[in-house]
Amino acid sequence: MNNKTAALGIKWEDILELVFDSRIDSVGLNERVDSLATRSIKKESKLDALNMIVSMCDLTTLEGEDTEGKISQMVAKAITPDPSNLDIKNVAAVCVYPSLVSIAKEKVGNSGVKVAAVSSYFPSGQVPMESKLLDTKYAIDSGADEIDIVINRKAFLEGDYRKVYDEIVALKEACGDVHLKTILEVGDLKTYENIRKASLISLAAGSDFIKTSTGKLSVGSSRQACYVMAKAVLDFKNLTGVSAGIKVAGGIRDSKDAIRYLVLINEEMGDEWLTPDLFRFGASSLLDDVLKQIKKLKTGAYQASYYFPRG
Amino acid sequence: MIEIKKTYKNYVGGKYVRSESGKTFTLNLKNDSFEVPLTSKKDIRDAVTSSKAGFEKWSEISPYTKTQILYRLSEMIEGNKDSYVDLLVLCGSTKNQAKKDVETAIENIVWYAGLADKWEQVSGNLNPVNGEYFNISHQNPIGVVFSLNSNNNSLSSLLNSIIQPLTVGCSVISFSEESSIIALKFAEDINNSDFPAGSLNILSGQFENVFEDVSKHVEINLISICKEIPNEMLTKIQENASSSVKRIVNMPSIDGISSILPFLETKTVWHPKGT
Amino acid sequence: MVNWEYSESVESQEIVNIKEKYQNFINGKFQQPNSKKYINTISPSTEEVLSKIVISNEKDVDNAVQSAQLGFEKWSNTSPHERSKHLFKLARLIQERSREFAVLESMDGGKPIKESRDFDLPQVAANFFYFAGWADKIDLSWGAKSLKPHGVVGQIIPWNFPLLMLAWKVAPALATGNTVVLKPAETTSLTALLFAELCEQAGLPDGVVNIITGDGTTGSLIVNHKDINKIAFTGSTQVGKLIQKSLAGRDVGLTLELGGKAANIVYEDAAIDQAVEGVVNGIFFNQGHVCCAGSRLLLQESIHDEFVAKLEKRMQTLRVGNPLDKNTDIGAINSKEQLNKIEGLVNEGVSDGGKIFQTECELPGNGFWFKPTLFTDVQPSYSIAREEIFGPVLTTLTFRTPQEAVEIANNTEYGLSAGVWTEKGSKILWTADRLQAGVVWANTFNKFDPSSPFGGYKESGFGREGGRQGLLSYLKAES
Repeated sequence: MNNKTAALGIKWEDILELVFDSRIDSVGLNERVDSLATRSIKKESKLDALNMIVSMCDLTTLEGEDTEGKISQMVAKAITPDPSNLDIKNVAAVCVYPSLVSIAKEKVGNSGVKVAAVSSYFPSGQVPMESKLLDTKYAIDSGADEIDIVINRKAFLEGDYRKVYDEIVALKEACGDVHLKTILEVGDLKTYENIRKASLISLAAGSDFIKTSTGKLSVGSSRQACYVMAKAVLDFKNLTGVSAGIKVAGGIRDSKDAIRYLVLINEEMGDEWLTPDLFRFGASSLLDDVLKQIKKLKTGAYQASYYFPRG
Repeated sequence: MIEIKKTYKNYVGGKYVRSESGKTFTLNLKNDSFEVPLTSKKDIRDAVTSSKAGFEKWSEISPYTKTQILYRLSEMIEGNKDSYVDLLVLCGSTKNQAKKDVETAIENIVWYAGLADKWEQVSGNLNPVNGEYFNISHQNPIGVVFSLNSNNNSLSSLLNSIIQPLTVGCSVISFSEESSIIALKFAEDINNSDFPAGSLNILSGQFENVFEDVSKHVEINLISICKEIPNEMLTKIQENASSSVKRIVNMPSIDGISSILPFLETKTVWHPKGT
Repeated sequence: MVNWEYSESVESQEIVNIKEKYQNFINGKFQQPNSKKYINTISPSTEEVLSKIVISNEKDVDNAVQSAQLGFEKWSNTSPHERSKHLFKLARLIQERSREFAVLESMDGGKPIKESRDFDLPQVAANFFYFAGWADKIDLSWGAKSLKPHGVVGQIIPWNFPLLMLAWKVAPALATGNTVVLKPAETTSLTALLFAELCEQAGLPDGVVNIITGDGTTGSLIVNHKDINKIAFTGSTQVGKLIQKSLAGRDVGLTLELGGKAANIVYEDAAIDQAVEGVVNGIFFNQGHVCCAGSRLLLQESIHDEFVAKLEKRMQTLRVGNPLDKNTDIGAINSKEQLNKIEGLVNEGVSDGGKIFQTECELPGNGFWFKPTLFTDVQPSYSIAREEIFGPVLTTLTFRTPQEAVEIANNTEYGLSAGVWTEKGSKILWTADRLQAGVVWANTFNKFDPSSPFGGYKESGFGREGGRQGLLSYLKAES
């Protein structure tokens, strides 16, 4: 039990009942999500939405080739997304590997941009628990504000939900007050019912956020997965009173798609979730498209990528 | 020697009953005469009650068993062939005509016996709807059918007025006038068969006495008219039927798939196909 | 954070061109009617007068029927394959002009553009495509050689899906070789009249499709015309009964698509979130102006409170307003008369003791509107649990066992449709078998397809529309 689960008073048995109660009809769900995509967002609403998306972005680089130089570029972009339009405020966070946390932390300074680290042997998580803990503690010691871990899909798919839960509980305990985002890797889980079960287990174990994907699979986030997670977050809130956040990552390439996520969250969860404290986009290429769209709305002209500095 | 004549009664809910009114009427056949029940309005109501119960039972019986029961009926008629022929001769048929009539009836029953476990495959089907759905249309029996028999003293005519709804699982109230004697005789075979009580009820009487009540009775789901009736009477029946959107079939088709369609309601069921 | 509101996104009306007044479409062209009586057709969302339509009289009906008789001769001499091609062509033309039809439908009838654009019009085209292919394959449909068209078919359609009901009627009638005299509802005639233009454009032989406008008096003249061979009616059970009565003693075919009070049964082991969506779609689709609407929610007692809480929350997100706004979920009530009827029944529900929940939303000043409404604490004896309201009003009843659910579901004179929600397969089949309803939606609701037969048990009418069974409504066995 970590501090958070202790504070909530949630027992494994309580959550198990909810987990096994997971029943989802995929066709009905797809239909609902498709119908939400027909919402039409125009004019001022669109500008508001685009600015909101910028503020919710976790600008991300998670590559073996990441260097100090790359991190510096990205942080600069995170702080000032569009130097030609200073009305656009900083993004929510930058997201990096643990070994680059200290550099990122130094570069963000007091800009308000948070530093998130992926840990627990992102993206596969296929190591012993001790290694996951070590990885996580290292990132925290290096100054990470937020930790993104992966769930143990091996244990999950083998049906050992208790192990999945225990690992998250232990990692949250290591995090203390540091924000924990738990990645479900929906592309591995395949079914909506699995996504719901993993969401509930992660939430019960004390995660502050649940996150769709690592971005390392060909199947990343989807609005359908986000919908399943949104419903799980709401049901969890109903049970505990705790509002957890959702981060969608992987495959969200343009503004139109991102806006559809916001519509979904707005309709299903209400506008209290429309804040970087409770909703994030993991993004690399998305941000540029959003900046283009904002400029287009202001100038009336479609923009080219080279107007915006590299991140 | 004084001939002791058989008394024919109505057959309702699996029992031989007199008309509650106690009334009878005389059937003057070519070579004999009989007193048969004169069905009253109250008798109709009782028959509907029995028929409803009979429908519950008969419609629940599996198609395979229905086939067996219908086929067994053909065997029973075959076994009693001579007594049918004798009765038909009393009614005025030649012996040959009578034999032919009974044989036709038997052949007809055998045909429908073989349809009882197949019609759903012929009248129902999967529908290729757009989207991720399984969609199937199949048919349910419509319920309680009132069937007015023709005045022909003929077993095959009688069968043609009841076998189609029975095959698909409806219960039937069969009403005969001048041809009652064949129907009441046929009730004996039904009584010895495995038809559940109330699935087939056999009444004799004068239709003009009861048609108003029949056509207004909400729990009769369909009226099948297998006899030429005056247009004023048909009009009145259809007008009365409209108050409960009752189905009326006038001179129904007596062979092929179209002979069972009036007695069916199509039900279409949708279900998503997903994970 | 910004408080985020969707701005209006209104579909342009420029695409439609409404005439000042309309004539009847008879014998392949618009013709000056004999009747001098015109009425205004208004937009129910603004109460603006859109146009004038004629209330056709006896002479007009007679002209239309005569034209259809001549048309029947031509149509009978057209080969089945050619008839098929005519229908394919109509289908294609509908697709090409679907935006125009959709906008006009929403203006004239009040339904949200989202539905007229994404549901009605695609379904209209699909019906013509589907039945086009049957025209030259009737011999394959039932394996019976003796099936023949009736001849001249009178078709009387309602105002809830004006063009779609036209398609449901006209496409199978023409495919089976009949010709038609169609009367749209007096509040929603404009898309039918636009369809008439399409028939002209498609080169359909004159007299095959005749469209005359009018009210109930015109409808009754069609029903009682001596040369009509068949009537196909969609509308209220009350009028359906009158039609059945009028046709008594006449050798005229009849199919009736009447009212409903469908049970939507939610078992405790349902996928609850999808069930909530299905229930919402079941009753609020098209403002609840749907004969097969899931207007009686049957909840298993064990999930009643949880389900109602989720349902109310979801209802609150429904956007009521301008039908032409792409973000509108619920448009205008079709007419003042219908609004009065809904209000009357809802008031009765409240005074009977039902607990009412209505969403908080602002309704526009002009036009006819009704807030999405949910009743709980309802007894099966209340009129809101028995009568067809035909509006965005859902009535909740509870049950304890599957047997009880089926009993309550069937405890009505109607039998058009029903819904079942459970993740247990055998319970779906058990329940579906016992429901007296022509359409059973399991884990879904309000789904339609031209290949899927639709029609009622009991007092919801007889005959089917759609699918192979739908062909039988327009064919008779000829001995």
